[in-house]
Amino acid sequence: MTRPPPRLIVNGRPFDLPGLPDDERLLDTLRWRLGMKGTKEGCRTGGCGACTVLVDGESTLSCLTLAKEVDGRSVTTIEAGPEDAVVARIRSAFAAAGALQCGYCTPGFVMSLAGMIRERGGVASRAELLEALGGNLCRCTGYASIVRAVDRLVPGGP
Amino acid sequence: MAPFELVVPSSVEEAMAALRTAGPGEASVLAGGTDLLNDLDDHRTNPRRVISLRRLPWRTLDWTGNQLTVGSTLPLRALEQDPEVAQRFPGLAQAVQAVGSVALRHRATLGGNVVRSAPASDLIPVLLSLDAELDLVGPRGDRRVLVDRFLRSSRQVDLAPGELVRSIRFPEARPSAYFWQRVRPANDISQVAVALAFSPADHAWRVAVGGVPPRPLLLPEPARVLGTGAPGPEAVRRAARLAGEQAPFVTDRRASEEYRRRAVSALLVRAVDSVLQAPEFPG
Ligand code: FES
Ligand code: FES
Repeated sequence: MTRPPPRLIVNGRPFDLPGLPDDERLLDTLRWRLGMKGTKEGCRTGGCGACTVLVDGESTLSCLTLAKEVDGRSVTTIEAGPEDAVVARIRSAFAAAGALQCGYCTPGFVMSLAGMIRERGGVASRAELLEALGGNLCRCTGYASIVRAVDRLVPGGP
Repeated sequence: MAPFELVVPSSVEEAMAALRTAGPGEASVLAGGTDLLNDLDDHRTNPRRVISLRRLPWRTLDWTGNQLTVGSTLPLRALEQDPEVAQRFPGLAQAVQAVGSVALRHRATLGGNVVRSAPASDLIPVLLSLDAELDLVGPRGDRRVLVDRFLRSSRQVDLAPGELVRSIRFPEARPSAYFWQRVRPANDISQVAVALAFSPADHAWRVAVGGVPPRPLLLPEPARVLGTGAPGPEAVRRAARLAGEQAPFVTDRRASEEYRRRAVSALLVRAVDSVLQAPEFPG
Protein backbone atom coordinates (compact mmCIF):
# COMPACT_ATOMS: atom_id res chain seq x y z
CA MET A 1 0.00 0.00 0.00
CA THR A 2 1.56 3.30 -0.99
CA ARG A 3 0.78 6.26 1.17
CA PRO A 4 -0.36 9.47 -0.45
CA PRO A 5 2.34 12.14 -0.28
CA PRO A 6 2.11 14.75 2.47
CA ARG A 7 -0.09 17.64 1.52
CA LEU A 8 -0.30 21.22 2.71
CA ILE A 9 -3.08 23.60 1.82
CA VAL A 10 -1.35 26.95 1.63
CA ASN A 11 -3.54 30.02 1.24
CA GLY A 12 -6.30 27.79 -0.05
CA ARG A 13 -4.18 25.96 -2.65
CA PRO A 14 -3.27 22.30 -2.14
CA PHE A 15 0.37 21.29 -2.56
CA ASP A 16 1.40 17.64 -2.67
CA LEU A 17 4.90 17.22 -1.33
CA PRO A 18 6.35 13.87 -2.37
CA GLY A 19 9.76 13.30 -0.85
CA LEU A 20 9.25 15.84 1.92
CA PRO A 21 11.99 15.00 4.45
CA ASP A 22 10.82 14.01 7.93
CA ASP A 23 13.10 16.59 9.56
CA GLU A 24 12.10 19.58 7.41
CA ARG A 25 10.57 22.56 9.17
CA LEU A 26 7.45 24.23 7.88
CA LEU A 27 9.46 27.46 7.52
CA ASP A 28 11.86 25.81 5.05
CA THR A 29 9.08 24.04 3.18
CA LEU A 30 7.33 27.35 2.61
CA ARG A 31 10.41 29.31 1.65
CA TRP A 32 12.54 26.82 -0.25
CA ARG A 33 10.21 24.10 -1.46
CA LEU A 34 7.21 26.30 -2.31
CA GLY A 35 9.18 29.47 -3.00
CA MET A 36 7.02 31.59 -0.71
CA LYS A 37 9.63 33.91 0.72
CA GLY A 38 7.18 36.17 2.54
CA THR A 39 7.53 34.14 5.73
CA LYS A 40 10.85 35.16 7.26
CA GLU A 41 13.52 33.40 9.25
CA GLY A 42 14.88 35.48 12.09
CA CYS A 43 16.21 33.34 14.90
CA ARG A 44 15.03 29.81 14.09
CA THR A 45 14.64 29.21 17.84
CA GLY A 46 11.19 30.59 18.65
CA GLY A 47 12.52 33.92 19.86
CA CYS A 48 11.52 36.51 17.27
CA GLY A 49 8.16 35.67 15.67
CA ALA A 50 9.33 36.52 12.12
CA CYS A 51 8.32 33.05 10.92
CA THR A 52 4.74 33.19 12.26
CA VAL A 53 2.06 31.66 10.02
CA LEU A 54 -1.43 30.35 10.71
CA VAL A 55 -2.08 26.61 10.90
CA ASP A 56 -5.82 25.97 10.76
CA GLY A 57 -6.22 29.61 11.78
CA GLU A 58 -3.91 29.46 14.81
CA SER A 59 -0.73 31.51 14.93
CA THR A 60 2.21 29.10 14.82
CA LEU A 61 5.99 29.48 14.73
CA SER A 62 6.93 27.77 11.48
CA CYS A 63 10.57 27.47 12.59
CA LEU A 64 9.53 25.21 15.47
CA THR A 65 7.09 23.09 13.49
CA LEU A 66 7.95 20.07 11.37
CA ALA A 67 6.17 20.31 8.03
CA LYS A 68 4.99 16.71 8.33
CA GLU A 69 3.38 17.51 11.68
CA VAL A 70 0.89 19.72 9.83
CA ASP A 71 0.24 17.26 7.00
CA GLY A 72 -3.24 17.84 5.61
CA ARG A 73 -3.80 21.12 7.36
CA SER A 74 -4.41 24.64 6.15
CA VAL A 75 -1.55 27.11 6.33
CA THR A 76 -2.04 30.84 5.86
CA THR A 77 0.94 33.06 5.10
CA ILE A 78 1.48 36.70 4.34
CA GLU A 79 1.02 35.79 0.65
CA ALA A 80 -2.72 35.22 1.30
CA GLY A 81 -4.76 36.91 -1.41
CA PRO A 82 -7.32 39.70 -1.00
CA GLU A 83 -10.03 37.08 -0.40
CA ASP A 84 -8.52 36.62 3.07
CA ALA A 85 -10.24 39.69 4.45
CA VAL A 86 -8.55 39.54 7.87
CA VAL A 87 -5.01 39.44 6.51
CA ALA A 88 -5.87 42.08 3.89
CA ARG A 89 -7.27 44.38 6.56
CA ILE A 90 -4.15 44.07 8.72
CA ARG A 91 -1.85 44.69 5.75
CA SER A 92 -3.76 47.92 5.00
CA ALA A 93 -3.58 49.00 8.62
CA PHE A 94 0.22 48.55 8.56
CA ALA A 95 0.48 50.53 5.33
CA ALA A 96 -1.78 53.30 6.61
CA ALA A 97 0.12 53.58 9.89
CA GLY A 98 3.53 53.34 8.24
CA ALA A 99 4.21 50.48 10.61
CA LEU A 100 7.31 49.13 8.91
CA GLN A 101 10.79 50.20 7.94
CA CYS A 102 12.88 47.31 6.62
CA GLY A 103 9.76 45.14 6.71
CA TYR A 104 11.54 41.95 7.73
CA CYS A 105 9.43 41.49 10.84
CA THR A 106 6.15 42.58 9.24
CA PRO A 107 4.84 39.24 7.95
CA GLY A 108 5.21 37.80 11.44
CA PHE A 109 3.42 40.73 13.06
CA VAL A 110 0.60 40.55 10.53
CA MET A 111 0.09 36.82 10.99
CA SER A 112 0.18 37.05 14.81
CA LEU A 113 -2.57 39.65 14.65
CA ALA A 114 -4.53 37.62 12.10
CA GLY A 115 -4.44 34.61 14.43
CA MET A 116 -5.83 36.61 17.32
CA ILE A 117 -8.58 38.22 15.25
CA ARG A 118 -9.63 34.78 13.97
CA GLU A 119 -9.53 33.32 17.46
CA ARG A 120 -11.79 36.12 18.72
CA GLY A 121 -14.28 35.53 15.92
CA GLY A 122 -13.41 38.58 13.80
CA VAL A 123 -12.93 41.33 16.38
CA ALA A 124 -10.21 41.46 19.02
CA SER A 125 -9.63 44.04 21.72
CA ARG A 126 -6.54 46.23 21.83
CA ALA A 127 -5.20 44.26 24.81
CA GLU A 128 -5.71 40.96 23.01
CA LEU A 129 -3.98 42.22 19.88
CA LEU A 130 -1.02 43.51 21.87
CA GLU A 131 -0.82 40.20 23.73
CA ALA A 132 -0.70 38.43 20.37
CA LEU A 133 2.40 40.48 19.49
CA GLY A 134 4.32 39.56 22.66
CA GLY A 135 6.58 37.17 20.76
CA ASN A 136 7.30 39.43 17.76
CA LEU A 137 10.48 41.50 17.67
CA CYS A 138 11.12 44.52 15.47
CA ARG A 139 14.60 46.03 15.23
CA CYS A 140 13.55 49.15 13.31
CA THR A 141 10.33 50.85 14.27
CA GLY A 142 10.52 51.12 18.03
CA TYR A 143 7.00 49.62 17.95
CA ALA A 144 5.10 52.91 18.22
CA SER A 145 3.96 52.79 14.60
CA ILE A 146 3.03 49.13 14.98
CA VAL A 147 0.84 50.01 17.95
CA ARG A 148 -0.79 52.69 15.78
CA ALA A 149 -1.53 49.99 13.21
CA VAL A 150 -3.08 47.90 16.00
CA ASP A 151 -5.25 50.88 16.96
CA ARG A 152 -6.65 50.90 13.44
CA LEU A 153 -7.79 47.31 13.91
CA VAL A 154 -9.72 47.96 17.10
CA PRO A 155 -13.41 48.82 16.78
CA GLY A 156 -13.79 52.59 17.13
CA GLY A 157 -10.11 53.12 16.29
CA PRO A 158 -8.87 55.79 13.83
CA MET B 1 19.27 18.98 11.91
CA ALA B 2 20.53 15.42 11.59
CA PRO B 3 18.10 13.30 9.60
CA PHE B 4 15.68 11.25 11.59
CA GLU B 5 12.62 9.22 10.92
CA LEU B 6 9.34 10.78 12.11
CA VAL B 7 6.81 8.29 13.43
CA VAL B 8 3.25 9.38 14.19
CA PRO B 9 1.50 6.58 16.06
CA SER B 10 -2.26 6.71 16.42
CA SER B 11 -2.57 4.59 19.53
CA VAL B 12 -0.75 4.31 22.83
CA GLU B 13 0.26 0.73 22.01
CA GLU B 14 1.80 1.82 18.72
CA ALA B 15 3.60 4.68 20.45
CA MET B 16 5.09 2.35 23.04
CA ALA B 17 6.10 -0.12 20.34
CA ALA B 18 7.78 2.68 18.38
CA LEU B 19 9.73 3.61 21.51
CA ARG B 20 10.68 0.03 22.27
CA THR B 21 11.87 -0.88 18.78
CA ALA B 22 13.98 2.26 18.41
CA GLY B 23 16.50 0.94 20.89
CA PRO B 24 17.80 2.64 24.00
CA GLY B 25 18.54 6.33 23.58
CA GLU B 26 17.63 6.28 19.88
CA ALA B 27 14.19 7.90 20.10
CA SER B 28 12.97 11.35 21.09
CA VAL B 29 9.36 12.05 21.91
CA LEU B 30 7.76 15.10 20.26
CA ALA B 31 4.80 16.77 21.96
CA GLY B 32 4.63 20.42 20.87
CA GLY B 33 8.24 20.48 19.71
CA THR B 34 8.91 24.04 20.87
CA ASP B 35 11.83 22.87 23.02
CA LEU B 36 12.86 19.61 21.34
CA LEU B 37 13.36 21.16 17.89
CA ASN B 38 15.97 23.53 19.28
CA ASP B 39 17.89 20.58 20.69
CA LEU B 40 17.68 18.75 17.39
CA ASP B 41 19.00 21.77 15.51
CA ASP B 42 21.89 22.21 17.92
CA HIS B 43 22.69 18.48 17.93
CA ARG B 44 22.23 18.28 21.68
CA THR B 45 19.98 15.34 20.84
CA ASN B 46 20.58 13.13 17.82
CA PRO B 47 17.78 10.56 17.74
CA ARG B 48 17.31 8.15 14.87
CA ARG B 49 13.59 8.30 15.43
CA VAL B 50 11.25 11.06 16.57
CA ILE B 51 7.88 9.91 17.84
CA SER B 52 5.11 12.49 17.59
CA LEU B 53 2.28 12.23 20.09
CA ARG B 54 -0.07 14.43 18.11
CA ARG B 55 -2.48 11.64 17.14
CA LEU B 56 -2.86 10.24 20.63
CA PRO B 57 -6.18 11.07 22.33
CA TRP B 58 -4.45 13.07 25.04
CA ARG B 59 -5.57 16.63 24.26
CA THR B 60 -8.03 16.50 27.08
CA LEU B 61 -9.22 18.53 30.04
CA ASP B 62 -11.34 16.66 32.57
CA TRP B 63 -12.89 17.70 35.85
CA THR B 64 -13.91 15.26 38.56
CA GLY B 65 -15.43 17.46 41.20
CA ASN B 66 -12.53 19.44 42.53
CA GLN B 67 -9.88 17.55 40.59
CA LEU B 68 -8.49 18.52 37.24
CA THR B 69 -6.75 16.16 34.82
CA VAL B 70 -4.96 17.72 31.87
CA GLY B 71 -3.94 15.50 28.96
CA SER B 72 -0.22 15.77 28.36
CA THR B 73 -0.53 16.99 24.76
CA LEU B 74 -3.24 19.60 25.27
CA PRO B 75 -1.81 22.86 23.87
CA LEU B 76 -1.12 25.41 26.59
CA ARG B 77 -3.28 27.96 24.81
CA ALA B 78 -6.34 25.72 25.31
CA LEU B 79 -5.52 25.36 28.99
CA GLU B 80 -5.21 29.09 29.62
CA GLN B 81 -8.45 29.80 27.78
CA ASP B 82 -10.57 27.50 29.87
CA PRO B 83 -12.57 29.83 32.16
CA GLU B 84 -12.89 27.22 34.87
CA VAL B 85 -9.14 26.66 35.01
CA ALA B 86 -8.61 30.40 35.35
CA GLN B 87 -11.13 30.57 38.16
CA ARG B 88 -10.26 27.46 40.14
CA PHE B 89 -6.51 27.28 39.44
CA PRO B 90 -5.56 30.94 38.93
CA GLY B 91 -1.87 30.24 39.56
CA LEU B 92 -1.84 27.65 36.79
CA ALA B 93 -3.51 30.01 34.30
CA GLN B 94 -1.06 32.80 35.21
CA ALA B 95 1.94 30.51 34.79
CA VAL B 96 0.75 29.25 31.42
CA GLN B 97 0.40 32.84 30.24
CA ALA B 98 4.01 33.44 31.25
CA VAL B 99 5.24 30.83 28.76
CA GLY B 100 6.65 32.16 25.49
CA SER B 101 4.11 33.86 23.27
CA VAL B 102 0.58 33.12 22.07
CA ALA B 103 1.95 31.46 18.92
CA LEU B 104 4.32 29.31 20.95
CA ARG B 105 1.52 28.29 23.31
CA HIS B 106 -0.56 27.07 20.39
CA ARG B 107 1.92 24.18 20.16
CA ALA B 108 3.67 23.90 23.54
CA THR B 109 2.17 21.42 26.00
CA LEU B 110 2.13 20.84 29.74
CA GLY B 111 3.44 17.28 29.35
CA GLY B 112 6.31 18.45 27.17
CA ASN B 113 7.23 21.16 29.65
CA VAL B 114 7.46 18.71 32.55
CA VAL B 115 9.32 15.98 30.69
CA ARG B 116 11.77 18.41 29.10
CA SER B 117 12.14 19.92 32.57
CA ALA B 118 14.02 23.10 31.75
CA PRO B 119 15.50 24.56 34.95
CA ALA B 120 13.72 27.89 34.35
CA SER B 121 10.33 26.36 33.50
CA ASP B 122 7.49 28.71 34.39
CA LEU B 123 5.09 25.80 34.83
CA ILE B 124 6.97 23.54 37.20
CA PRO B 125 6.82 25.87 40.25
CA VAL B 126 3.03 25.98 39.95
CA LEU B 127 2.77 22.22 39.52
CA LEU B 128 4.76 21.85 42.74
CA SER B 129 2.53 24.29 44.62
CA LEU B 130 -0.56 22.38 43.50
CA ASP B 131 0.90 18.94 44.40
CA ALA B 132 0.41 17.88 40.80
CA GLU B 133 0.91 14.24 39.87
CA LEU B 134 1.75 12.60 36.57
CA ASP B 135 0.01 9.56 35.15
CA LEU B 136 2.53 7.54 33.19
CA VAL B 137 2.04 4.65 30.81
CA GLY B 138 4.87 2.26 30.12
CA PRO B 139 5.98 -1.25 29.29
CA ARG B 140 5.75 -2.25 32.94
CA GLY B 141 2.27 -0.83 33.38
CA ASP B 142 0.83 2.45 34.53
CA ARG B 143 2.05 4.43 37.49
CA ARG B 144 1.39 7.75 39.19
CA VAL B 145 4.15 9.96 40.51
CA LEU B 146 4.25 13.32 42.26
CA VAL B 147 5.88 15.98 40.06
CA ASP B 148 8.21 16.81 42.96
CA ARG B 149 9.55 13.23 42.85
CA PHE B 150 9.56 13.01 39.08
CA LEU B 151 12.00 15.90 38.75
CA ARG B 152 15.54 14.88 39.50
CA SER B 153 17.70 17.71 38.29
CA SER B 154 18.00 20.16 35.46
CA ARG B 155 16.55 18.33 32.45
CA GLN B 156 16.60 15.02 34.28
CA VAL B 157 13.41 13.24 35.19
CA ASP B 158 12.32 9.90 36.54
CA LEU B 159 11.04 8.51 33.24
CA ALA B 160 11.89 4.86 32.62
CA PRO B 161 12.75 3.66 29.10
CA GLY B 162 9.57 3.31 27.09
CA GLU B 163 7.44 5.40 29.43
CA LEU B 164 5.21 8.30 28.35
CA VAL B 165 3.38 10.93 30.37
CA ARG B 166 -0.30 10.56 29.63
CA SER B 167 -1.73 13.27 31.87
CA ILE B 168 -1.14 15.69 34.69
CA ARG B 169 -3.48 15.46 37.63
CA PHE B 170 -4.28 18.28 40.04
CA PRO B 171 -5.80 16.73 43.14
CA GLU B 172 -7.55 19.83 44.44
CA ALA B 173 -8.57 23.28 43.17
CA ARG B 174 -6.55 25.84 45.12
CA PRO B 175 -6.51 29.59 45.50
CA SER B 176 -3.12 30.24 43.94
CA ALA B 177 -0.89 32.74 42.19
CA TYR B 178 2.24 32.85 40.04
CA PHE B 179 4.50 35.91 40.01
CA TRP B 180 7.70 36.25 38.00
CA GLN B 181 10.48 38.72 37.34
CA ARG B 182 12.29 38.94 34.00
CA VAL B 183 13.60 41.46 31.49
CA ARG B 184 10.78 41.26 28.95
CA PRO B 185 7.21 40.35 29.85
CA ALA B 186 6.71 37.96 26.92
CA ASN B 187 8.96 35.36 25.34
CA ASP B 188 11.62 35.63 27.99
CA ILE B 189 13.01 33.47 30.75
CA SER B 190 12.12 34.32 34.34
CA GLN B 191 15.03 35.27 36.57
CA VAL B 192 12.99 34.50 39.68
CA ALA B 193 9.47 33.22 40.17
CA VAL B 194 7.14 32.36 43.02
CA ALA B 195 4.20 29.98 42.92
CA LEU B 196 1.92 30.14 45.92
CA ALA B 197 -1.13 28.04 46.72
CA PHE B 198 -3.40 27.43 49.69
CA SER B 199 -4.80 23.95 50.23
CA PRO B 200 -8.35 24.13 51.58
CA ALA B 201 -8.19 20.41 52.48
CA ASP B 202 -5.19 20.55 54.79
CA HIS B 203 -5.33 24.28 55.64
CA ALA B 204 -1.75 24.78 54.59
CA TRP B 205 0.22 26.88 52.15
CA ARG B 206 2.68 25.77 49.50
CA VAL B 207 5.49 28.04 48.37
CA ALA B 208 7.56 27.06 45.34
CA VAL B 209 10.31 29.07 43.70
CA GLY B 210 11.75 29.12 40.20
CA GLY B 211 15.07 30.52 39.05
CA VAL B 212 17.02 28.24 41.40
CA PRO B 213 19.39 25.55 40.21
CA PRO B 214 19.07 22.78 39.41
CA ARG B 215 15.25 22.81 39.29
CA PRO B 216 12.26 24.63 40.84
CA LEU B 217 11.79 23.85 44.49
CA LEU B 218 9.20 23.79 47.28
CA LEU B 219 10.17 25.84 50.34
CA PRO B 220 8.46 24.27 53.38
CA GLU B 221 9.48 26.83 56.01
CA PRO B 222 8.03 29.99 54.50
CA ALA B 223 4.89 27.97 53.80
CA ARG B 224 4.62 26.97 57.43
CA VAL B 225 5.18 30.51 58.64
CA LEU B 226 2.16 31.62 56.58
CA GLY B 227 0.02 29.55 58.96
CA THR B 228 -3.27 27.75 58.46
CA GLY B 229 -5.38 30.51 56.96
CA ALA B 230 -5.06 34.17 56.07
CA PRO B 231 -1.68 35.32 57.43
CA GLY B 232 -1.18 38.66 59.17
CA PRO B 233 1.34 41.21 57.90
CA GLU B 234 4.06 40.05 60.28
CA ALA B 235 3.78 36.42 59.11
CA VAL B 236 3.92 37.55 55.48
CA ARG B 237 7.05 39.59 56.17
CA ARG B 238 8.72 36.66 57.91
CA ALA B 239 7.80 34.22 55.16
CA ALA B 240 9.13 36.63 52.55
CA ARG B 241 12.39 37.03 54.42
CA LEU B 242 12.78 33.27 54.86
CA ALA B 243 12.15 32.67 51.16
CA GLY B 244 14.94 35.13 50.34
CA GLU B 245 17.29 33.43 52.79
CA GLN B 246 16.50 29.81 52.08
CA ALA B 247 16.13 29.53 48.32
CA PRO B 248 19.46 28.28 46.94
CA PHE B 249 19.87 31.12 44.45
CA VAL B 250 23.11 31.63 42.55
CA THR B 251 24.49 34.28 40.24
CA ASP B 252 24.33 33.47 36.55
CA ARG B 253 24.13 35.47 33.33
CA ARG B 254 20.48 36.31 33.92
CA ALA B 255 20.68 37.81 37.41
CA SER B 256 22.79 37.96 40.54
CA GLU B 257 22.14 35.92 43.63
CA GLU B 258 21.54 39.10 45.65
CA TYR B 259 19.00 40.39 43.16
CA ARG B 260 17.14 37.10 43.20
CA ARG B 261 17.02 37.00 47.01
CA ARG B 262 15.45 40.44 47.14
CA ALA B 263 13.11 39.83 44.24
CA VAL B 264 11.76 36.56 45.62
CA SER B 265 10.69 38.28 48.85
CA ALA B 266 8.83 41.00 46.97
CA LEU B 267 7.19 38.48 44.70
CA LEU B 268 6.02 36.36 47.60
CA VAL B 269 4.37 39.37 49.27
CA ARG B 270 2.53 40.15 46.04
CA ALA B 271 1.51 36.53 45.61
CA VAL B 272 0.01 36.39 49.11
CA ASP B 273 -1.95 39.60 48.42
CA SER B 274 -3.26 38.18 45.21
CA VAL B 275 -4.39 34.89 46.74
CA LEU B 276 -6.06 36.57 49.71
CA GLN B 277 -8.02 38.86 47.40
CA ALA B 278 -9.47 35.97 45.38
CA PRO B 279 -13.15 35.40 46.17
CA GLU B 280 -12.41 31.66 46.41
CA PHE B 281 -10.14 32.11 49.40
CA PRO B 282 -11.80 30.22 52.27
CA GLY B 283 -12.74 32.36 55.21
S1 FES C 1 12.46 32.45 13.14
FE1 FES C 1 10.84 31.47 14.18
S2 FES C 1 10.66 32.63 15.98
FE2 FES C 1 12.40 33.51 15.03
S1 FES D 1 10.62 46.96 10.30
FE1 FES D 1 12.66 46.23 10.35
S2 FES D 1 12.58 44.67 11.86
FE2 FES D 1 10.63 45.55 11.98
